[in-house]
Amino acid sequence: MTWIMVLLLVFVVFSGLGITKWLNSTANENLDENWQDLAQAEIENSTIMLAEPGLSETQIDYHEGQIAIAEHRLENDIPSLEYASMQQQVIDTHMLMSIVTLLAVVAAAGIVASEFSQGTIKMLLTRPVKRWKILTSKYITILLFAVLLTLTLLASTALAGLIFFGIGEGTPLVWNGSEVAETSFWLEALKLAALKFSSVWMISTFAFMLGTVFRSSSLAIGLSIFLMFTGIQAVFFLQNYEVVKYYLFTHTDLTQFYNGNILIPGITMSMSILVLTAYFLVFMVISYWTFGRRDVTS
Amino acid sequence: MAKQAIVQIKNLSKTIGNKKIIKNLNLDLHKGEITGFLGPNGAGKTTTIRMMVGLMRPTDGEVWIDGQSVQADFEGSIQKVGVIVENPEMYKYMSGYKNLLHFSRMHKGVSKERIDEVVKQIGMQNRINEKVSSYSLGMRQRLGLAQALLHDPKFLILDEPTNGLDPAGIREFRIYLQKIARENGVAIFVSSHLLSEIELLCDRIAIIQNGELIDIKDVNELQQSRYYIQAEPLELVGEVLTGAGFPTVLHANGYLIDSGAEHIPGAINLLVGAGARIFAVQPYRETLESQFLEMTGGGEIAQAHTK
Repeated sequence: MTWIMVLLLVFVVFSGLGITKWLNSTANENLDENWQDLAQAEIENSTIMLAEPGLSETQIDYHEGQIAIAEHRLENDIPSLEYASMQQQVIDTHMLMSIVTLLAVVAAAGIVASEFSQGTIKMLLTRPVKRWKILTSKYITILLFAVLLTLTLLASTALAGLIFFGIGEGTPLVWNGSEVAETSFWLEALKLAALKFSSVWMISTFAFMLGTVFRSSSLAIGLSIFLMFTGIQAVFFLQNYEVVKYYLFTHTDLTQFYNGNILIPGITMSMSILVLTAYFLVFMVISYWTFGRRDVTS
Repeated sequence: MAKQAIVQIKNLSKTIGNKKIIKNLNLDLHKGEITGFLGPNGAGKTTTIRMMVGLMRPTDGEVWIDGQSVQADFEGSIQKVGVIVENPEMYKYMSGYKNLLHFSRMHKGVSKERIDEVVKQIGMQNRINEKVSSYSLGMRQRLGLAQALLHDPKFLILDEPTNGLDPAGIREFRIYLQKIARENGVAIFVSSHLLSEIELLCDRIAIIQNGELIDIKDVNELQQSRYYIQAEPLELVGEVLTGAGFPTVLHANGYLIDSGAEHIPGAINLLVGAGARIFAVQPYRETLESQFLEMTGGGEIAQAHTK
């Protein structure tokens, strides 16, 4: 079952990159701008953004960083990574993390619920191991599985990128707040994937809680995936209300602080981490409380 | 011989909603003794057993296993208990052996040799590496017994263990349980609907009805010495036996007398001397079934609630 999920993930990555390659080869040639033009466009774009009123500190910092990187490239003649290169594909892997979420949710929803539906729960709970320990081992398994899926995703993008695009020219640069620095594409990819992992973590924990409370994996999977797709949309409905700042899906994607697409102006990374921690604790308390006290009658 | 109580159930009660399902149950189970647990459907057998193994939380009262309370020290007490609750559900997609290995890891100090030994004892060595989904119900029962015995428990709780076993399997199972009770001093608590099976297996029987323990009996006590004498003419036989001081009951074509074996030859001589024609003299045993039905008042299911 879990191996099928891993294989599915690899398959999706390969077919995804294959399609990208094919689209690229049929696309118009003159879309192929050189990196100098791109850097110039970046500077113009960020300058326009900075002129807008009501930007939060995080956003200002981001755009200033973008300008600094682009200027640094032009001054020192450092080209950016080509889009059609293995390195850029690996850096962009985090955009495929919703597949990991999807698969992790399925596993998280079922890991406790299936023990109830198979009836094996009573075999498990009549061992000399306290219930909270059993639940903890289940939860750790889910986290490890999600990490494994993420690493598989990175590895298979690298492999597929190598096969379809090969190693390309260019150097990734980052803005660390005061100066521009070179970085490796692996580090960059891992950083982005780790930030995106917050979303995988939260939604799997939510599914885990539902599976534990309702003992039905289909309900837990359905509800979690439904929320995963509609949760972000709801941020836009709620954006004019104060409550949006305490809403889970405003904060699940931490890459927003890294790539400037901040959902709600005014939120910061530390605020998001605080809100996520609070949700996490609530999910955990509910899971452990119901699992620890439940009378097993199945 | 003073009996050593391994399990003590003290004032066990369970209330669900406002319904009292188990009312103040007290019961001791002794080392090396097999106790049968009988009761009509819905009497509270399964609820009691689930509370004894920590699957349900008692509203009141405690279960002590070898000096440790299941409620206060779950890990310490449960490691001495082997459990089969209703059908033993296993992970169907794994082999029998993998299942045992999985469960053994949750106990302290169960070696691979121990697993092999238990597999041999339950007679599954030829099929143990096949997936559980290919097993028959009887084989799953055997595997269920194996997982309960892995850690060499001092106390074994079995809920409907012979369900699905064939007659040879039931016999083997009975002999095996009696052996571990005698040789290893394991206390065994068995609930079953098969009264004849309980009668053959158990040393002692506890009967529960409507959440209350209504009787605890030794099986030998149940089988008090009684003889059936079939002879003619009936009136004459009745007169002679009562005259000799035997308590008599008319039964079928003769009389039942409560008497030890030593008085039977004398009784026969008396009857022959009086000119009665004797057709049969045999020990008479009332079945557990008739006693059970008498005690629990027939077959109606206790007032409905969860099972």
